[in-house]
Amino acid sequence: MSGESLKSTRPVNKRALAEKRVAEWTAGYAPLGGIPDEYMGADGAPRPHWTRFLEALAHQEPDEINRRFGAADRHIHDMGISYRVYGETNERTWPLSHLPLLIAENEWKHIAAGVAQRAALMEHVLGDVYGDGKLIAEGALPAAAVAGSQDFLPPMRGIKPPGGKWMHLYAADIGRGPDGRWWVLDDRAQAPSGAGYALESRLVLSRAFPSLYREMNVERLAPFFRHYRDGLTHSAERAEPRICLLTPGPYSETYFEQAYLARYLGFLLVEGDDLVVRDGQVHVRTIAGLKRADVIWRRVDGDYCDPLEMNAASRLGVPGLIEAIRNGAVVMANMPGAGIVESRALLGFLPALNRRAFGKDLRLPNIATWWCGQKAEREIVLERLDEMAISGAFGETIPGFPGKRILLGSELDGSDRARLVRAIGERGIDFVGQEVVRLSTTPAWVDGKLAPRPFVLRVYAAATEKGWEVMPGGFCRISDEMDARAVSMGDGVKSADVWVLSDKPVEMTSLLPTGDSVKIRRLLGNLPSRAADNLFWLGRYLERVEATLRLVRCLCNRVVDIDVGASPARQSIERLQRLIASWGAASVDLVGSSPAELATVALCSTEHYGSASSLASSSMRAASVIRERLSTDTWQLVSGLEARLTSKPESILSEPECFDRADRALRVLAALSGLIQENVNRVAGWRFLDIGRRIERGINTCRFARHFADKDATADNLDVVLDLIDSQITYRSRYLIGVALAPVRDMVMLDTFNPRSVGFQVERIDEHLATLPLLREDGMLEMPKRLSVKLLSDLSTEDAEQLDTNKILGVEQRLMGLADAIAERYFLQGPHAVRGDKLTDLA
Amino acid sequence: MIYDIRHVTTYRYETPVSFARCTLRLAPRNGNGQRVFDSGVDVTPPPSARSSRTDFFGNRVETLTVETSHRELRIVALSRVEVERPPSPHVALTPHWEQVKQAAAGSQSLAPDAPAHFLYRSRLVPMIESITDYTRTSFSAGRPILEAAADLMVRIRKEFDYDPEATAVTTPVEEAFRRRGGVCQDFAHIMVSGLRGIGIPAAYVSGYIRTIPPPGKPRLEGADASHAWVSVWCGDEFGWHDLDPTNALHVGNDHIVLAVGRDYADVSPIDGVILGSGGQKLAVSVDVAPVKG
Repeated sequence: MSGESLKSTRPVNKRALAEKRVAEWTAGYAPLGGIPDEYMGADGAPRPHWTRFLEALAHQEPDEINRRFGAADRHIHDMGISYRVYGETNERTWPLSHLPLLIAENEWKHIAAGVAQRAALMEHVLGDVYGDGKLIAEGALPAAAVAGSQDFLPPMRGIKPPGGKWMHLYAADIGRGPDGRWWVLDDRAQAPSGAGYALESRLVLSRAFPSLYREMNVERLAPFFRHYRDGLTHSAERAEPRICLLTPGPYSETYFEQAYLARYLGFLLVEGDDLVVRDGQVHVRTIAGLKRADVIWRRVDGDYCDPLEMNAASRLGVPGLIEAIRNGAVVMANMPGAGIVESRALLGFLPALNRRAFGKDLRLPNIATWWCGQKAEREIVLERLDEMAISGAFGETIPGFPGKRILLGSELDGSDRARLVRAIGERGIDFVGQEVVRLSTTPAWVDGKLAPRPFVLRVYAAATEKGWEVMPGGFCRISDEMDARAVSMGDGVKSADVWVLSDKPVEMTSLLPTGDSVKIRRLLGNLPSRAADNLFWLGRYLERVEATLRLVRCLCNRVVDIDVGASPARQSIERLQRLIASWGAASVDLVGSSPAELATVALCSTEHYGSASSLASSSMRAASVIRERLSTDTWQLVSGLEARLTSKPESILSEPECFDRADRALRVLAALSGLIQENVNRVAGWRFLDIGRRIERGINTCRFARHFADKDATADNLDVVLDLIDSQITYRSRYLIGVALAPVRDMVMLDTFNPRSVGFQVERIDEHLATLPLLREDGMLEMPKRLSVKLLSDLSTEDAEQLDTNKILGVEQRLMGLADAIAERYFLQGPHAVRGDKLTDLA
Repeated sequence: MIYDIRHVTTYRYETPVSFARCTLRLAPRNGNGQRVFDSGVDVTPPPSARSSRTDFFGNRVETLTVETSHRELRIVALSRVEVERPPSPHVALTPHWEQVKQAAAGSQSLAPDAPAHFLYRSRLVPMIESITDYTRTSFSAGRPILEAAADLMVRIRKEFDYDPEATAVTTPVEEAFRRRGGVCQDFAHIMVSGLRGIGIPAAYVSGYIRTIPPPGKPRLEGADASHAWVSVWCGDEFGWHDLDPTNALHVGNDHIVLAVGRDYADVSPIDGVILGSGGQKLAVSVDVAPVKG
């Protein structure tokens, strides 16, 4: 159904109302002089597709529109869509513009053809520069215009890319120039980012405005990602290749996006440590041993890929990777070194290179660019400096002008100008001059009205068997800065969804039941060791948070309950305080002081590693490196728990306040436990999470038993331990006599019907271990299983009357030994697990 | 001249090391006035894996892995090399440095010895305004490239102190320059940085110089360890020419080249990673003896 026919079915007065609203939104909309605008044509009249969009939007009540905008914002926050500004520890929430960028289909066809053409040119240049170097030898491209790029990697020369391609994903940053045509501002070939954010923005906006999204016939994004995945699959040697996304880790700026894309496309998210080169092949370390990696989608910079042949200081790469590439053993997307085509130095040569290679002009022009390494070009730039924008020929900033990305010749003061002129004269190779271009604006929603804002659009192309496929849409950044070339994510920049509007209704793809909602594929193959490790520790930390909270809750509860001066209770309180301190949740010197003070520290301190707050942060850290494996609900609960526990109180909390804080956090943990049982879908991953929880619970329960069920334990002590392990009700229903040592010890340590007992934990761990993959082929038990079987049989045959504190301590130590054995067998161990010291010699 | 070279490197560790992976560039280069008769490296404890290759710049690189627990790692490199370099060109005959600069920017090759690789900042050699400024003094307008570069070399020799205590292997170039002191590595990096700063291609060379000087000549600095100097590009006709700023010498038959690269990071004789928790002590000895006969 087209927009027109839809409108005509609506009552006239509703339509008039919508037109009135559109008029209000756009009243006073004034593009800047001489700069084209997406909403308003050169003649001052709105473009038809924008009018269609705004009227469709205006059919909704203003309150409803605001509610939908609000829902979109909440969705972004809840999904944890975020990015990191380089050097910052905390991620920032992704700012999304409420209005999409609209592009009509006929115009899009031109853009797509231009981007595909440019991708093909870049592939050609890469093949030549790293291959026989004809373009260089014949003078079409100066060697110095290539070698200045930090991404020019000499060791890659002469290597034939496995799978035949230097690039599998390419992106161009484009904007509309003053003549109304689209211009290319920058090329991205190293590891183009933003495609995942484009997908997320689409998900958010199409959910907020489902009917509008349908009515406007917006081209879907999902087919593009399928093409990309198929292209990678076909490049590999094996029919069902294992595809890995190599990430620099959770501190990279776009880690969220990497985790999201890995999950969406069903790729393994790996760090350098997860991969190892053996016998000329690249392998992933998994819990089932080494498994071959066929394709690596690289988000680690080329120079950091292999400390053996590239940057020896890199700790992000895989030793031997280049040799494996040289042997054709692994497909790289993109090849290390592909980043050279991002250099501005190349821009001026591209039109001629395209004519030379393909006999055609570029469909999308660059900004006119002169590389100052050539005499004639340098003279033009220096003569016309006032009309020029000067940028670095390579890299982000201008040499000698730290932090500056662009210098406008007309705005330079005398001394800077002299400095720049001298620098260009001395090392022209480092500079380009570019025509000053102001880019078009698009409407943003500002205080209930439309306002023009400059933008840059990143368009993606994927290599497929049939050539380059271009994503119908892209990653759009809208800025408050008037020079949109300087737009990167940071203050004052928003992203916007990009709607390519088809003339016909868009086919629903089977992948996409509603809008662009995402069907997540199961991850291929085995669980990587690093993921298993982090899941195990997530389980341990969560359980440790729980134990700390239970101790605090128990302490506060007792203080509230007792009569002043009742001595058995006093002694229990002191023991609780002592345990909390020895736990690392508070300082020992607080023992004996006011329980409220100690409880507040145990809950909120950031200085004590065992406090609930610190442990919640540790849980969050473990979770954040396996984000692609956690459901959104799980992620929300873990981050919610962290937010709740790390919020700082103004002053020392009272006992009831501490009780309340601990109690509420325990309820979040209970919800999380339920969710983990129901929601963590990959079998082995869930098992490691559960093994971690159970080992930790077993160890903690032994500690409780040692402190409160020793041979001198009072009835009140025993009462405490039943409280801590949540077994009061069970005990009372089973024993009518009141608390006694042997029955309590049985319930805490041995009773496998009690889900809080140590015996129960060991039984579950033993079951988990039985289902995990084996490395031994001789049928003998692997070490973790040997330990769990032995421990389980010892606990099963133990007599509660014979238990003593020493024996309980023995069980606790065997559980720790079991944890070590599990780490040794399944996690990253051996030469590459720990980062070594640097070995070097002095000259 | 034929030399026997013995380069012994010993690491002693406080606590046992369970794993070491080393990259060695200890085999002298063949060609350009050098002929390698024999070259080999002994390692104790014996490595579990060894492999060697030639890197992009033509240096022999050996990678080895030691997986035996050890407290001492000893690497002994032995080589016999003949050195017979052509005499240096007369400095006044070399082209004006501005011509060399322009030729480098317009060069049409990415071969391993192409000037384009040595024009830009590299991992350990940034361009520093103060160093560039220091360099400009030697490069007056129209001066022949080798004359100007040799002048820069002599100034560094005169104005900088040879002081092994002043810097470590990781000291940034800028700091060594500010201190006006350091060792061969620092002087070479400073000179490379300065030359590139004015647009002249410059490479970093690692190698040795003969331990006992010829009769009547002083013993040279850097003779008891591995040494480093600079190679400067003098245009298409004259090509690369080596200058030793530590000793203010045009490199001749007393120098033996191990490896050439953009800076120390490309050519470090021994580089690697160990797994161990304690500190380490390093002892290096180098003997470069002329073979009689």
